[in-house]
Amino acid sequence: MKKINYTFLFLLAASTASAQRPVPAKPQSKSILLMNGVAHIGNGTVIENSVIGLKEGKIVLVADARTVRIQPTAWDTTINISGKHVYPGIIASNTTLGLVETESVRATRDFAEVGAFNPHIRSIIAYNTDSKVIPTARMNGVLMAQVTPRGGRICGSSSVMELDGWNWEDAAHKTDDGIHLNWPAVISRNFSDDGPGPFEKNKNYDSNLGEVEKFFTEAKAYCENVRPDEKNLRFEAMRGVFAGTQTLFIHADYVKEISEAVIFSKRLNIKKMVIVGGRDSWQCTALLKENNIPVMLGRTHDLPANADADVDQPFKTPYLLQKAGVLFCIQNEGDMEAPGTRNIPFLAGTTAAYGLTKEEALAAITGNVARILGIDDKTGTLQEGKDATLFVSTGDALDMRTNNVEWAFIRGKKLQLTSEQTELYHMYMKKYGKE
Amino acid sequence: MRKYLIACWLLSLPAIIPAQEGFPVNGAADKNHNYHAFINARIYADAETVIEKGTLLVKDGRVVSVAATVEIPKGSVIHDLNGKTVYPGLIDAYTSYGMPEVKRKQGQDDPQPGAYNWNQAVKPETDAFRVFAADEKAAEELRKLGFGSAMTFVKDGIARGSATFVTLGAGNDQADLVSERVAACYSFDKGTSTQGYPSSLMGSIALLRQTYLDADWYKNTTDKKERNISLDAMNQLRPLPQIFETTNKLNVLRADKVGDEAGIQYIFKGSGTEYQRIDEMRNTFGKFILPLNFPMAFDVEDPFDASLVSFSEMKHWEMAPLNPAALEQKGIVFAITSSDLKDKKEFWKNLRKAIQYGLSEKTALKALTTVPAEMLGVRDKVGALRTGMLANFIITSGNLFAEKTVIYENWVQGKQYVFSDMNAFDIRGTYDIKIGNISASLKIAGDVDRPKGNLMKGDSTKESVSVSLIGHAITMSFVPKNEDLTAGESGGTLRMSGSVDAVTKRMLGRGQLSDGSWFDWSATFKTGFTEEVSKPDTSKKEIPSLKDVPYPFSAYGKPKEDPTLIDQLKNRYDAVLIKDVTIWTNEADGILKEKDVYMTQGLIVRIDDNITPTKGAFAKIIDGKGKHLTPGIIDEHSHIAAEVRIGDVINSEDINIYRQLAGGVTACQVLHGSANPIGGQSGIIKLRWGKSPEEMKIAGADGFIKFALGENVKHSNHGDNNTTRFPQTRMGVEQFFYDNFIRAREYDDLVKTWRMMNQKSKGGLANPPRRDLELEALAEILKSGRFITCHSYVQSEINMLMHVADSMGFKINTFTHILEGYKLADKMKAHGANASSFSDWWAYKMEVMEAIPYNGAILHKMGVNTAYNSDDAEMARRLNQEAAKAVKYGGVSEEEALKFVTLNSAKMLHLDKKMGSIKVGKDADVVLWSDNPLSIYAKAEKTIIDGLIYYDIDEDKAMREQLQKERARLVQKMITEKNGGAPVRKPQPKSPKLQHCDSSEDDYMEE
Repeated sequence: MKKINYTFLFLLAASTASAQRPVPAKPQSKSILLMNGVAHIGNGTVIENSVIGLKEGKIVLVADARTVRIQPTAWDTTINISGKHVYPGIIASNTTLGLVETESVRATRDFAEVGAFNPHIRSIIAYNTDSKVIPTARMNGVLMAQVTPRGGRICGSSSVMELDGWNWEDAAHKTDDGIHLNWPAVISRNFSDDGPGPFEKNKNYDSNLGEVEKFFTEAKAYCENVRPDEKNLRFEAMRGVFAGTQTLFIHADYVKEISEAVIFSKRLNIKKMVIVGGRDSWQCTALLKENNIPVMLGRTHDLPANADADVDQPFKTPYLLQKAGVLFCIQNEGDMEAPGTRNIPFLAGTTAAYGLTKEEALAAITGNVARILGIDDKTGTLQEGKDATLFVSTGDALDMRTNNVEWAFIRGKKLQLTSEQTELYHMYMKKYGKE
Repeated sequence: MRKYLIACWLLSLPAIIPAQEGFPVNGAADKNHNYHAFINARIYADAETVIEKGTLLVKDGRVVSVAATVEIPKGSVIHDLNGKTVYPGLIDAYTSYGMPEVKRKQGQDDPQPGAYNWNQAVKPETDAFRVFAADEKAAEELRKLGFGSAMTFVKDGIARGSATFVTLGAGNDQADLVSERVAACYSFDKGTSTQGYPSSLMGSIALLRQTYLDADWYKNTTDKKERNISLDAMNQLRPLPQIFETTNKLNVLRADKVGDEAGIQYIFKGSGTEYQRIDEMRNTFGKFILPLNFPMAFDVEDPFDASLVSFSEMKHWEMAPLNPAALEQKGIVFAITSSDLKDKKEFWKNLRKAIQYGLSEKTALKALTTVPAEMLGVRDKVGALRTGMLANFIITSGNLFAEKTVIYENWVQGKQYVFSDMNAFDIRGTYDIKIGNISASLKIAGDVDRPKGNLMKGDSTKESVSVSLIGHAITMSFVPKNEDLTAGESGGTLRMSGSVDAVTKRMLGRGQLSDGSWFDWSATFKTGFTEEVSKPDTSKKEIPSLKDVPYPFSAYGKPKEDPTLIDQLKNRYDAVLIKDVTIWTNEADGILKEKDVYMTQGLIVRIDDNITPTKGAFAKIIDGKGKHLTPGIIDEHSHIAAEVRIGDVINSEDINIYRQLAGGVTACQVLHGSANPIGGQSGIIKLRWGKSPEEMKIAGADGFIKFALGENVKHSNHGDNNTTRFPQTRMGVEQFFYDNFIRAREYDDLVKTWRMMNQKSKGGLANPPRRDLELEALAEILKSGRFITCHSYVQSEINMLMHVADSMGFKINTFTHILEGYKLADKMKAHGANASSFSDWWAYKMEVMEAIPYNGAILHKMGVNTAYNSDDAEMARRLNQEAAKAVKYGGVSEEEALKFVTLNSAKMLHLDKKMGSIKVGKDADVVLWSDNPLSIYAKAEKTIIDGLIYYDIDEDKAMREQLQKERARLVQKMITEKNGGAPVRKPQPKSPKLQHCDSSEDDYMEE
């Protein structure tokens, strides 16, 4: 009891200490024209000198400034971004952003529910629009996130959120976009006092796989009835996957796990399946391509899987997928993934030093993500008719040396680019008389 | 046949049993003092001395004489060993034979009750001879291999007590016990101790060090206020050979270091990996006890599974049998043990393999006889056959090390053990056989104890006959195909039984057809059996040699260069010249464009336009046009290469060293975790990949010690059960420091006083103070002889520690992590502390919720010397990019930002006189980048340390191809082995444990 009180007091103290946080933006009421910026479309193309018009939350104009005639008076606001770069909002896929505040504090961890088969568990309702982490991600250009639960065999459903809003309903972009399945490990390892032990063949693989098969078979049979005798929440939650309105995200890294997952989803006639993690996906590109399976690749800033692997393997895996014609995007699952969301642009930047073009690298965190999430009709690229979810950076946003977000919009709403961190920065700079 | 052997063995029992003197006898006394004479034998009196056609005379378990001619006394039992060879009984130098089972205890963190050492893992008072009890099953297993005696000890703990020396089945425990205490045994493994400390190798080393000092102090304290059985035992064991068990080659170096400090030369129980750092092994000057635990091949038929097996494991599989030969080549004295073998039957197979790999038979024999005898101080009793020594010997069919040699008998203190009857009745040969009235020819071949028969009638039929013999009674059966032998139409087995004449080998007997009808049979011996000489294996096997050992023993390791090889000469260079490059000097010159840099003898010697190499120099000229040259990256806070989490001995084989070279890192400070307010010393190394742990260390670097504050030392994130260890609050942490520093000051005063007293009056008025390594280290801090790098997060505790330091008169050299440093940058500046921070980590625990990425910029702007560290093996590969975040967050200039990972970290490690900038006279530690080094698009193309190129992006490419080829070769070799019937194991890839600051072992490091 004593412990809880302390925690409570601490949290209370912490919350009163934070003064200002970015106020959720108002819907776009005035049209905006961004002139003369370098437009990185997000699908591999660039317009060196662009005009981009935003109206009522949508992109209504994307054109080469040299080929279109612009009537500035037709726009409420005109911003000259000459020399600056404009990008579609970066989408953080497969992230616990908003589901966790302080990783080591149990009370703030809301991303993993108990139980093995939890398709009915929905991340969206735990998504905390007031997380202090979220503003720090926006400030580097990350404007949307597929907020994803973890744990168990089936973790639950993810939802695509916009990183601005008063509450989760407000922030939802696509609710319950897919169900996440952790593929059983083909190899496993034991943990002892000395830390992780060597990998071994998972003796329980067959039985683990059997459980997955059983669940899917039962759920599928159940879903054939529109009105079953008695409702089963878990099975109900699978309807979208079998109907093809939701994606099945299968988390798998080792090459045999990936291929097992592909064969499984094919066998069960799953209409939309995505491999998440996919560390070894470069070793089975033919299988992925032939079955049209996209990959949400784990973070590129990672160590190679073993001592013998090429030193730069994680850096160049995206290039190998691109070359093989596999649709992929880059995500940031792993240690400190929520606070590290702001580094997603740089996860992509690295790949441009290891084979991809800068525009391909950008697509891996914008256009490709939208395609894989099935929201590319609305967002992911700078194209007319899409959401005005984009940002302007002083320089190349994929390089930390030049990434500096000056303006950011979500569906035309102009975001307040501050955070508790910038506030602390200015507070102490003032204390020291440095500003 | 088995029955027959057992009968033989039973018969041997009454031979010569030394009776337990003074024990009551059940029945009539069975005394036997007969002489046994072994004549006409080839006798190895020792590994060097062979007597042809000699005689060994034995009585009462002792050797009476060994010579070419010996007068055989009346009443001797004669053993004619014509054609046989006699060797001294082999000695296993490292066993736990006859020791009680070591059981893992359940219990608390309390010391062992009684006046023993405080730590349960220190139990030098354990005497193996007191708990020894013969174990017939285990003895038989060893005897079958030829062993007649063994060193044995209780394998438990760090200081394990004394080993004893026993024979393997002299008849009773009293007789078996040859010498009570022959060695003292040590390891780094705390064994069954239930105490938390030590929980790491670092802790084990510290504990052992301190225990040696405590034992010394105990010895020198005349007026003992307490008694300590363990320390007393420790001192008593000092004159004995000291054997240290190691689990890998680097642990040999670690143990040797402890030994050097304590004035002890250990004998090392090896791990089988010594060949991988053979020169370092030799330089310990220690003798070794080697296991023959050669690994099994992996099942690599599935290419994906095979990729889970590392090159180093595959290579070790191929090279392990080289280990004994490698030690022999380097003149290292070693004994061989059967320990560590999962299956003891592998012993001879593996030893013969080692011989095939170059171990000489003579050295092998010495390693099993005279060397262990000498090592263990029992050379007057075992290891050779000389008058007065124990009658421990084996009788073999020939050269012990040859493939087909059989050990017939093993005599232990005159007690005979028969494994194979050397005078077994040999019925092998060809016979004319008559079955009923049918004549045929019978050929018996196979082994003496496993004969196989073949029946031939005419040219056409050949029947395989099963043959077995007990005594001189023979049984044969077969399923006849020959119509004449088939009874009726039923077919079935024809069975015969009969006897064989001991001299003429004529067989006579009766048999039954499958229909039950009886018949007579007989056979007449025609010709004897001649062994078919199997063709020697002409397929030339590639035997690896020491030249093939990569350094380090890992992927991307390289064999040592051999200057005598012409083809390696072309790689030679003694200077590096980089032309037309953009140089980030970190000096007043700022960034120089299109300049040349000349480096030789490890130093930067010239920075200028149009440099040409010195005449006669083998200069490597690199075109730097369009590229950037920076000082090497220095990581103030790393956990790579820190298998032991300590600077004692660096893990030179960690692949992360190479990976970080590929990220432009040239030096780092290696630290352990942060579970304790006062931690251990760090290691400051250059990433000299391939070099030995000692060679990686930066010579003359100041000593640093790790301190820690906050949640880790409070065990805040260790779960709800870890709430009892002090301190649990930041309040406690302050008092912890005061307590320790005040004690350290008092300790230092006491030591000073003692020294002065001692000089003036050597009268021994008082006892010397107990040397305390932890307090000594703290006293060094107080005297500015050692420097602190302190893991820290929140402002209150940082402020506190600066107050502790100020009030005690010392400085905190560096606050590392220091994520709230921005809140007291002014105070840090005033104190004179350095800051080594993360660029943008936060939100992973409560104490980093107010960490901001502007921290570095604020500290820098406030005049605090600021660096960014990695604390992470992956991020360390991109520290240049982390530096760029100081530009992004807070607007530090690019030039200053680069210093965050070069010059500034050099400054806080006190290395800036030699490193951190590109300046004539400084170490040639530089990185050539493809682009602006702060850019995410920049790649390190060449990483140069001491003027030598340790990473080259082109060479890396070539090495990848070579690695793939080498792996493919090894895979093919393993598959060949598997197809040849050798057992294989499933791939079990190693995944090294990575350290970072939350790896919090519970150990105090006491130096």
